[in-house]
Amino acid sequence: MRALRRDVLALFAVWLAGGCALVPTRAPQPAMHIRDVAHDGDETRRASQQLVLEGLRADSAHEFERARSLYQRALQVDSGNPYAYLALARQSAEEDEPELVLQYVDRAEDLLSADADSSPGAEVHLEGLRGLALAQTGETVEARELLERAAQSAPDVWGDGRLDADELR
Amino acid sequence: MANPDAVSWSCSLVAAPSGFLPSASPGAKVQSRRIGGKTVARRRNGTAARDDEGRSQRRSRVPSWVRPLAAAVAISAFVLGFALAGLVAGLDRTVRARFEGVRFRVPSRVYGAPTILYPGLDWRRVDLRGALARLGYREAEGAKSLPPGQYVWSAQRLRVHLRAFAHPSRPEPARDVVMRLDDSTITEIRSVPEGEEIGAVMLEPEPLGAYYGPAREQRELVRLTELPRHLVDAVLAVEDQRFETHSGIDFRRIAGAMLANLRAGAIRQGGSTLTQQLVKNFFLTPERTLRRKLQEALMALIVEARYDKDEILESYLNEIYLGQRGATAVHGVGEGAHLYFGKSASELGVSESALLAAIIQSPNGISPYRDPQRATQRRNLVLDLMLEQGRIDEDTHARARAEPLQLAAVTPDANDARYFLDLLRRQLAETYPTEVLEQEGLHIYSTLDPRLQRIAAESLRKGIESIEKRRPSLVSKDGPSLQGCIVAIRPQTGELLALVGGRDYRVSQFDRCTQARRQVGSVFKPFVYIAALEPFRGPPVITLASRLDDTPLEIQTPSGPWRPTNFDRDFHGEVSVREALEQSYNVATARLAQRVGIARVADVAQRLGIESSLPGVPSLALGTAELAPLELARAYATLASEGVRPTTQTVEDVVDGDGHVMEKRRLRFERVLDAGTAFLATSLLEGVAERGTARSVRAGGLRGPVAAKTGTTDEERDLWFVGYTPELVAVVWVGFDTPRGLGIPSSVGALPIWRSFIEGVTGGVVRGGFPKPPMIEQAAIDPGSGALALSGCPSSRDEYFLAGTLPTEVCPADDVQPAGGGLFHWLRGRL
Repeated sequence: MRALRRDVLALFAVWLAGGCALVPTRAPQPAMHIRDVAHDGDETRRASQQLVLEGLRADSAHEFERARSLYQRALQVDSGNPYAYLALARQSAEEDEPELVLQYVDRAEDLLSADADSSPGAEVHLEGLRGLALAQTGETVEARELLERAAQSAPDVWGDGRLDADELR
Repeated sequence: MANPDAVSWSCSLVAAPSGFLPSASPGAKVQSRRIGGKTVARRRNGTAARDDEGRSQRRSRVPSWVRPLAAAVAISAFVLGFALAGLVAGLDRTVRARFEGVRFRVPSRVYGAPTILYPGLDWRRVDLRGALARLGYREAEGAKSLPPGQYVWSAQRLRVHLRAFAHPSRPEPARDVVMRLDDSTITEIRSVPEGEEIGAVMLEPEPLGAYYGPAREQRELVRLTELPRHLVDAVLAVEDQRFETHSGIDFRRIAGAMLANLRAGAIRQGGSTLTQQLVKNFFLTPERTLRRKLQEALMALIVEARYDKDEILESYLNEIYLGQRGATAVHGVGEGAHLYFGKSASELGVSESALLAAIIQSPNGISPYRDPQRATQRRNLVLDLMLEQGRIDEDTHARARAEPLQLAAVTPDANDARYFLDLLRRQLAETYPTEVLEQEGLHIYSTLDPRLQRIAAESLRKGIESIEKRRPSLVSKDGPSLQGCIVAIRPQTGELLALVGGRDYRVSQFDRCTQARRQVGSVFKPFVYIAALEPFRGPPVITLASRLDDTPLEIQTPSGPWRPTNFDRDFHGEVSVREALEQSYNVATARLAQRVGIARVADVAQRLGIESSLPGVPSLALGTAELAPLELARAYATLASEGVRPTTQTVEDVVDGDGHVMEKRRLRFERVLDAGTAFLATSLLEGVAERGTARSVRAGGLRGPVAAKTGTTDEERDLWFVGYTPELVAVVWVGFDTPRGLGIPSSVGALPIWRSFIEGVTGGVVRGGFPKPPMIEQAAIDPGSGALALSGCPSSRDEYFLAGTLPTEVCPADDVQPAGGGLFHWLRGRL
C-alpha cells in the first residue's frame, strides 16, 4: 500500500514538474532555514530552536524517532515554537501521515501569523508541506497549485517537490 | 502416550555431572557389594558370571527367616525407590515450570518526562540538585576524568557527566558537560573536553513508580554478560567460592559450617550453595526443617543437572533479595545497584560490587544506610576473600578497601504520582492485561513532569490544611475529611503534567480529578460567552463592547419557573460583557444563554473538550452540569491554545522488556474554535484575573499573563478554580466526597491552591503572552455605552473585536461634534 502511494506520488511529482515547466514563474525568494532564526527570541525560544536543529540532524541521520522526540522536547521547552511544528510536519509528510501534516502546518501557521518576528521565508514551507499533504490525501489539483507555488518561490528547495531535513535546517 | 517429563528425567540422570556420580566408564552406572569377603564390582546389566553351584550351597546355609526379610526389604526398597522417583519427578516438574516459564515477574516501570536544561533556565526553580540526587548522580570532588553519573558542583560552575539514556528508538548518548551558573540561572552549557556551546541537554527521565504484583517486588533484569567480572567474583567469593565446581551441594562447605557452628554453640554459618539459595528463594519457604533441607538439596541437584552454571548464576543474581525501598522489596543486583548506588550494575566498581555482595547475607541488618560501619566491615571481608581466592590483585584490593562508602540518596517510591499511575493503569489496561503490566517489565515513558507533580501535591496539601485552619468546623475526627484535587496540562500538546487526585493517596485512592463528576458552577460560564462571541450563521450575538441586562429574570421550565439570582443577592442593571463575567453575574449570563440558545452553549462546551453529558436546561449556563476536573482542564486548554483542542496525552511511548517499542503516541490536535473567538475569551478571562473574582491570583506578586475563572456551587459545596497561562492550564477542585457546605467561596478555598502551584512552577513570573491572531482588531470604546470612542468621548478604553464586528454606534453621539469630525464621519461611513 505504501509502495503504491509512493508510486502515485512519484507520478504526481513528474506531472508537477511538467506543470511547472509550463506555468509562468514567480520571482524566487529565499526559503527560510531554522538555523537562520536559531538566535531569535528569548533564551527559552533559543533553547527550543537548538532542540529542533538537533532533531533535524537526527532526521537527516535517519534517527526518526529520536528526531520526533527532540521536536516534542522543543515544544516542552517552548510550546509556542512554530518551527517545531514545521519540523514535525516535514517528518510526518515523509511518513505519509497527511492528517498530521495538515494539523502541524495549521498550528505553525497560526503561531507564525501571531508572531511579528517570524521569518517570512517560512511561508513557502507551509505551502509546500500543505501541498504534499493534500497530494497524499488525493486532492491533487489543490496540491499541485501549492507545490507549484512553493517550487517557484524556492526552486532550490522545493524544485523537487519535497523538503529534506537538511533543507529545513 | 509416554510422559515427556519422565523421559527427560531419565535422560537428565544420565547427563548428571560426574562430580555427583562415582566415576565409571561413560554412560554406565556401577554398583559395589561385598560377596564372600571380597568386593566385587558388577555391572547392572548383569554380565558377571554366575556360579549356580555356589549359590545353592549358600541357600542351604541361609536361615529360613532371612528370605522373607530380604523379600520385605526388597519390596520396601522398591516402594521407597518408586516413591522417591515420583518425588524427584514432581520436583523436576516444578523446577522446569519455573525455569522454562516466566522465571521472573518484573513489574512495569513508569517514568516521567525528562528535565531539559538550557541557558536561561532557573536552575533553582527546577531543583537541579534535587533532580541529580533523585537520579542517583553522585557528587565527586574535582575529578579530572568524571565517569557518567557523577558531577562536580563548584561556585558558579557545574560539571556533570550525563548518563546515556537507553531507549530502542530514541537513545541519547552520555554527555560530559559543564554549565556556568549565576545565582539562579544557567548561563552557558559547553561540552567537555571540546568546549562547544550546547543549546540544551536532557537529564534522563525520573522513575515515577511501577505496577507491582501482590509480592511488591522490584527488579531490573540483568544478563550475566553485561555484569562486570568483579561483581560476579565478589558474590562468589563470599557466598559460594566453589560454585564453579560443585554439583549443587558443597559438602566441604557443609562440613565447615557444621564445625564452625559446633564451635560457636549456635548456628552462625550456613552451608548452602548459590544453587540451594536460589532453589530456596524460587520454590521453598524459609522454615528450617529437615524435610525442607532435603527438598532443597534434591532440587539443587536437579537444577544443576538440568541447567548450566551461567544460567543458574544469572538467575541467582536476578533473584537475590537486597533490601527495601519503602514498601517495595528490591531483588537482584540490577535493582540493588540502583537502590544503593544510583547506577546500573554494569557500572559498579570493585568496592561497590563488594558492598553489594556483602549485603546479601542480611540486607536489612547490614544495610549501609542503617549501619555503615558494619557494612564497611563486611565489604572489607568480601574484598579480603576476593584477594585470598585470587579474584583480585593486591593493588585493587588495597584501593577498594580504602574507598569510603559512596551511596546514592535514598529514593523512595514517589507517593505523589500514585493517582497518575492509577490513571495510566486504567488507560493502559485497554491494551495491556494486568499480568503483562505486573510481570513483563514494560518501560512506560509518561508525560508527567515530576517537578510540577511535587509542587501540585504540596500546594494541594497545604491549601486544604489552610482551609481547615480557617474553618475548624470542617474537620471531624471520625467523619470524612475535606478533599481536593489538582490537574495540570500543557495546552498546546495536551500533555498531562501533574495530577493529584486527593489529599492523601494512602487514605483514599479515589481520583477526584478523573473519576469524580461534580457540579461546576461558574467555571462553566465562559462557554456561554464563547457561544455568544463566536460568529455562527452570521455575526456574533455580542462583542466585548456589548451591554448585558442584569435585571430580574424568570424563565419557564417544565419543572416550574426558574429565577436566577446573583451571588450577592443583588441585580446590577445594564452591565458590560466584561463586568458580567469578571463579577460572575448569574442573571446576565443566564439571559445571554437564552439569547444564544442552550443547545449552542452545550455544543461549544463539547467542542472545546467536555465529554460528559450536558443537561439542556436553562441553568446549564450557570454550571449545573456535573463534570470531571480533567474535562474542564482540556476545555480551557483549547482556549489557551487559541482554539485548537489537544488530545490529552499521558504516555509518550511504551517499550517492552526485550527493548521493542510497543506503542508510540503522536501529538494530535484539532481546531474547534476560531483563533479570534478564543482570543476574545482569553481576554475576558484575563480580566477576571485582573479585576474580577480571581484578582487575588496576583496577591503573591505573580506577574505575567494569566486567565482564570472561579466557580462556587450552591451552599459552597464545590469550590473550583480554573486558570491558565500561555503554557499551562491547571484546575483545582475542593469539597467533600459527599457534598457538604464549606462556608467559603472559591476565591478563598481553591484559588490559593492554584496560585501556590503556579507560583511554584513559574517562580512568580509567567513567561510570554497570549498571541493576538491577525483577525483581531483593537479599538477604543466608550465603556458606558459600548460605542466606538472618538476624541471628545468622556471616557474610553481599548477593546478587542473580531475583524468586521466593531460597534457601529459612536461616542460622542451625532449631535456632539467630535474632534477631527471629518475623519470620524469618513470612518463611520465605512463601518
